[in-house]
Amino acid sequence: MSAPLPEVGDPPPRARERSLTYVDADRSLALRTDYESRETLLERPAQLTVEEIGILELWQTTEGHPHRIPVGESVEGYGVFTFPYGPVTMGVPESGAFDLRTYGERVLEIVPEVGYKHRGVAAALVGRSVPDALLRVERFAGNFSASHGAAFLRAVEIAEGIGVPESELWTRALAQELQRVYNHLHLIARVAEAASQNVGVAQAHALAEESLRLTARTFGHRWAFGALASENPLRRLGPDDRRALGSRLRELDREFASLWELFLSSRTFIDRIQSTATVSRADALRWGAVGPTLRASGVAWDDRLRAPTPPYTDLFVPLAQEGSGDALARVLVRQEEVRSSLLLLDQILDRWSSMRGGESAPPAPVEPGRGIARLEAPSGDLVYDVRISDGRVRSVGVRTPSQANWPLFALGMRGGVFTDFHFALESFGLVFADTDG
Amino acid sequence: MPSWISRAWKKGIVTTTYPVGAPTGEEIPPTGCPVGIEDAAAFRSAAAIAEPLCPTGAITPAGVDQGQCIRCTRCFRVGFGAGGAVESGNAAREGLIWISGTPPALRVEPAPLAPIGRSIHVFLMDVGSCNACNLEVLALANPYYDAARLGISFTNSPRHADVLAVVGVPTEPLVEPLRRTYDAMPAPKAVLAVGACAIDGGIFEGNPGLEVPVRTIVPVDLYVSGCPPPPLAVLDGILRLAGRNRVRNGGDR
Repeated sequence: MSAPLPEVGDPPPRARERSLTYVDADRSLALRTDYESRETLLERPAQLTVEEIGILELWQTTEGHPHRIPVGESVEGYGVFTFPYGPVTMGVPESGAFDLRTYGERVLEIVPEVGYKHRGVAAALVGRSVPDALLRVERFAGNFSASHGAAFLRAVEIAEGIGVPESELWTRALAQELQRVYNHLHLIARVAEAASQNVGVAQAHALAEESLRLTARTFGHRWAFGALASENPLRRLGPDDRRALGSRLRELDREFASLWELFLSSRTFIDRIQSTATVSRADALRWGAVGPTLRASGVAWDDRLRAPTPPYTDLFVPLAQEGSGDALARVLVRQEEVRSSLLLLDQILDRWSSMRGGESAPPAPVEPGRGIARLEAPSGDLVYDVRISDGRVRSVGVRTPSQANWPLFALGMRGGVFTDFHFALESFGLVFADTDG
Repeated sequence: MPSWISRAWKKGIVTTTYPVGAPTGEEIPPTGCPVGIEDAAAFRSAAAIAEPLCPTGAITPAGVDQGQCIRCTRCFRVGFGAGGAVESGNAAREGLIWISGTPPALRVEPAPLAPIGRSIHVFLMDVGSCNACNLEVLALANPYYDAARLGISFTNSPRHADVLAVVGVPTEPLVEPLRRTYDAMPAPKAVLAVGACAIDGGIFEGNPGLEVPVRTIVPVDLYVSGCPPPPLAVLDGILRLAGRNRVRNGGDR
């Protein structure tokens, strides 16, 4: 079912094609990557497109929220009407709205309306010191807090050209991977919930809760708030704690493996998500999909492999990739990534004791006082563009994976039925808090 | 499907004994509220040092405001320590201010929703949260907490709801939906403000475009502090609204 994993560092299949698709695309929400020269354009920020810079800057203002994300031509025809859904609905546990264009059965078009929850996080960072800003960055999206925090800190370090203790880098990776395990388990449970796999849902939610408790044991907080602050007195990363964490993670891995076997044996589950909300490879590239959505559509892109920030440069990251682009493929990618994150956590804990204890090499700023960092959040590529001077944040631009993936959700839902909605929403891993900021 | 059954059997019962039993260490994450300095004079001097460190202004020599505290652990440097805050919900906003390490004398219980006390339907309304509070409230449905065993269930419509759990700091476009959601609920009804953002804006207090706090939009019956509060704190809050929480009933359901 799963494609063979390519070797780490291998160029992705048909690299030229992807690069061209990106250049020729009339619209791309992903930050472009030049495969030929094997370099991300982030290293040359002057070449960001106008649109990309616009996205990084849009979320700094309070103007223009909420706003709609239309994709392609609007659908008209006999009997077609608009069905508004949200912003208050329990089907989606957050506040965001959708306009569904339908004639009663099929969803001909869906227009997400995001920005209801815009709290102005990016604007609130301006003028603050880095530790104060970090408190707010972590609360951008609570379930991606470690990724947001790590991306922000990395951007700050690039801007100021400072190195960090090696142990801090490994701590960040530990927090991020623990959170990735939680998020993927939670989304698998949510997709199964929509398919009424009640026993499986309970079991998957139980595993997700266990991963939260492991985060709480390690960092003193269930959502890893404060995990990246080196002075946090609640961090427990001593040798005994690491050993205990390692053995509980291996147990989690065993339990998840057997649970996944059972999910695969459930034909009703597989049938329901197969060919639901399909995104083709061309669409994924054209509209700038990121993360598991991109990998499920057959593109071998993972920031941890292609644009690694330390310590991922020193780790073996298995690439999860599928080709069919439907909800099943995305769930498969997520389940592979649960396993690969557990493998990464094992590596991190394994190499902890052999840490040299020095500082990482200071990165070079893109321009004085400005740093751009991208890393792989649980739902995909997360970008922070930070300007800093005299230890105070001057401006912050954010492009989150949820922002990038909304057009793909809208495309995937076209032609589906109403009940596809939850399979689509959960399998894309869209979080309104992450979108709205 | 015998394999599903055998798996469920093998996993055993993971559900907490709360509220009959006391919460265990795993169920109360160490990021409780800042407590641990009992002596009044020592508290005042420690609070004076901690005051400029606190990012939300929760610590003053007058006391520690659990409603504003976001559990950032900065004040631990001057001698405060983590404490369990599972049963810290209070119907009075001032009741969230703890003097030194002791829970406040002002412990106000909400008027219990007596006629519906055995079965409570909760509607979760997000008015601008970071998603952590949402997930903590919804975690009550997972097997570790299994709120359904206590007659608590989540409903998909405010028209079927007894309790409105509000999470997040109200953003301008969600003020009117919050008001209308509250109006749509049938009486008797109660509002639970979950988390620092819903209580007083938390870390986002003062951002442009935010209407804080929730209590100026809808009447709040109980405040559950935390950033985010652990699921058991939310559970205690819901049970307290129904008048059958652990503290009141001496550990007995």
